[in-house]
Amino acid sequence: MSGVGEKVSGTTKTPADFLKSIRGRPVVVKLNSGVDYRGILTCLDGYMNIAMEQTEEYVNGQLKNKYGDAFIRGNNVLYISTVKRTVADGA
Amino acid sequence: MSGEEDATVREPLDLIRLSLDERIYVKLRSDRELRGKLHQAFDQHLNMILGDVEETITTVEIDDETYEEIVRTTKRTIDYLFVRGDGVILVAPPLRTALG
Repeated sequence: MSGVGEKVSGTTKTPADFLKSIRGRPVVVKLNSGVDYRGILTCLDGYMNIAMEQTEEYVNGQLKNKYGDAFIRGNNVLYISTVKRTVADGA
Repeated sequence: MSGEEDATVREPLDLIRLSLDERIYVKLRSDRELRGKLHQAFDQHLNMILGDVEETITTVEIDDETYEEIVRTTKRTIDYLFVRGDGVILVAPPLRTALG
């Protein structure tokens, strides 16, 4: 199987490219502790430190908190995923 | 918008710098939260110096018989605090509307 990475949106080839391409998008950030954060990604760096806006914190699927701005330390991040719909969906 | 010049990309840490000398909310490991004023000192590890801090420790007990959750919070105040960065999970401006 060649070109495994080319299934994704056509322009992302490496994780670094992915990180550059998702700025300004609604994302889901899951932490090692299992807590979920959904919001709009402002910026991030190579350590996976994250800055987000309009962040909602979900614990066990339940909305627990909302933050206007949030910075998350990268070592806690399990994954960053983009979402197709906006964060406000289902609120 | 300079999309080409990635050498000058703003990092999340630059945005924390905007909160210097402001009150912030910090979520730590072990179910701890801090609210205090971020002094000029913080670094890329998120080591921080906070002043006029209130620490909240949250514990949840589950009753064996009734299975109800008993949520307890313990608070204490600290005038001047050095926070080691590896315990930090999240940093935010203080919550304006406290939920639940």
